[in-house]
Amino acid sequence: MSEPSLRRPSLYACARRLWRFRGLLALWTERELRVRYKQTFLGAAWAVIQPTALMVVFTLISSYLQRFPTQGAPFPLFYYAALLPWTFFTTSLAFGSTSLINNLDLVTKAAFPREILPLASIGAALFDFAVAATVFVALQVWYRQPPTMELFWLPLLILIQVAIAAGLGLLTSAIVVWYRDTRFVVPVGLQLLLFLTPILYPLEVVPERIRAWVMLNPIACVTETYRRVTLYGESPDPTHLGTAILSALVLAGCGYWVFKRLEPTFADRI
Amino acid sequence: MSIEAIARLRGVAKRYRLGRTHASLRDAASGVFERLRQGRKGDSSPHLWALKGIDLELLRGRSLGLIGPNGGGKTTALRILAGITPPTEGAVETRGRVAAMIQLGTGFHPDLTGRENVFLYGAILGLSAAEIRSKFDRIVDFSGLARFLDTPLKRYSSGMYVRLGFSVAAHVEPDLLLIDEVLAVGDASFRQRCAERIAELKERDTSIVFVSHNLHLVQSVCDEAAFLDQGEIRAHGPVDDVVLAYRRWLRDADRPRAPVDDDALPGERSGLLDILDVEVESSAESTERGWIAGSDSVIFRVYYRARGPIARPNFVLRILTSDGTVACALWTRDDPRWEATLEGSGGVAICVDPIQLAGGIYSVEARLEGEIKGLSLALGYSGRFEVRGVDGHDSEGAFVPRMAWVRNEPAAGR
Repeated sequence: MSEPSLRRPSLYACARRLWRFRGLLALWTERELRVRYKQTFLGAAWAVIQPTALMVVFTLISSYLQRFPTQGAPFPLFYYAALLPWTFFTTSLAFGSTSLINNLDLVTKAAFPREILPLASIGAALFDFAVAATVFVALQVWYRQPPTMELFWLPLLILIQVAIAAGLGLLTSAIVVWYRDTRFVVPVGLQLLLFLTPILYPLEVVPERIRAWVMLNPIACVTETYRRVTLYGESPDPTHLGTAILSALVLAGCGYWVFKRLEPTFADRI
Repeated sequence: MSIEAIARLRGVAKRYRLGRTHASLRDAASGVFERLRQGRKGDSSPHLWALKGIDLELLRGRSLGLIGPNGGGKTTALRILAGITPPTEGAVETRGRVAAMIQLGTGFHPDLTGRENVFLYGAILGLSAAEIRSKFDRIVDFSGLARFLDTPLKRYSSGMYVRLGFSVAAHVEPDLLLIDEVLAVGDASFRQRCAERIAELKERDTSIVFVSHNLHLVQSVCDEAAFLDQGEIRAHGPVDDVVLAYRRWLRDADRPRAPVDDDALPGERSGLLDILDVEVESSAESTERGWIAGSDSVIFRVYYRARGPIARPNFVLRILTSDGTVACALWTRDDPRWEATLEGSGGVAICVDPIQLAGGIYSVEARLEGEIKGLSLALGYSGRFEVRGVDGHDSEGAFVPRMAWVRNEPAAGR
């Protein structure tokens, strides 16, 4: 006999069950993308337009209002390097946080690891990220930026950003089931965070004494490291990378743990 | 075949909270203040025990029917077995792969094609991509929808939708198959194939738990049955015995009054009267063939239990189409001769002759209404039933009047 109901399964057992359902995760990710791209006129171009539009606006601000020092990097490149991972976070969370309440039927009428829903949102965001990354490559070619050895940091960076997004996506989706109104908090929070993260402005213009506080934000660590690695050919700042890795592990672990603890209540709560 | 338990419920109870559930952070915050003001009274919110500690065991290759009135706990038991929701108390154990057909096509997306949805639904039911690929042809064959595989699901009729859903679910080949009332839809020939497929799965040692209001279907599909009422098992044993016990229970006017439960649903259960079940009865041959002809006479029976004498109770029966539209409403107060005083348990019936409904799937909603129109004191539903057009062809709309076409003679002088 398996799965006595009152004993809580370990995270390892949960992960094994998730692995058994990996096919569903892949299909649900594909479904998210197909549905999104079938329903919008722009289709896959949407993935590019989001970071590009912000890049254009930021470039205009920087060119005409406030010239931020970029250590020689052209503005479009400077902004796109950070907006690329930033857009990944916003899409992940925008779709991830509402993934459970938007699939009411599935949650109340089918039995499967429910983490598949928020994780599929992150999978779909990763696909968008790959599409948007092609524009970045094109920009680098346009500005004749030779690729450097430091680009080998990218797989690790992507792993970190996925873990952070997964942790936050699991957390927010579960909380939104419990308190519906928190779903409006997520977009507002992201909007504020965009300006608290050194994206529009370089980290160097942040006063020294509060810089450490700003860099407690793991998303800032990720965007900052993207800039160092792709624009300046420098290896990541160990403090930033360390903060990012640590918060990725903590967020992913805690997010999954909280999600699995709340999961049994979803069907009755939603 | 080894005799082994495939599912076991031990002392399973399920409590649902009613009313305030803190759907928002704001409510939760104000709830905290309220509790502080009132002092600690613990969890005072109203709740309902949908299951009150039931024990069931199902052996491999056996099939169990769950029957009983609405609100008896059948679907809750099924959802607990499926692992969709955990029991509040007790333990549930299942062995092997469990597939639940609570609602066919859960997770179907209207914008995706039939093919894409087959893969998606298969994965939701726990199949790997490779398994679905290997079964794909059989699934499509069974559904008979090969021509529509690349059509988006939004262009499917509701019948096609259900056919595709059942075809996938029926090929999961689980160890335990849970079916909730899903065979009430679809055309008769497809339903026949569904029943055959279920028999086939049983041959292969699949255990089945089957929830239905259609007692004939339960008797043909199941070996044993459990009769659930108010979250308790009233009878459990060979299917024919239990169905008989349930039928007797439904008709037994002298049944001892059940203790009044304080956890009644506000608005739906006033404590004045409970609607225990709503039955749709037609000729023996229509029961036999599984559908009612538009020209048949039909009797709707409402079984109730009154907690005190009610003079001139105001019942309303609404015949609903499959999409929930009211096809017709029948009021006792429209009948000047209706002069009954209800006490204890019993039934009221209305005969509609002929039924004159157009072809389609219907169900009946019965309410006891108070003085204020629309405020229902009790509510119950029948199972779904199928009506076919009088001459075998189905018509549009919900109503087929008796009629005759005549050619209008041109008026004189024109």
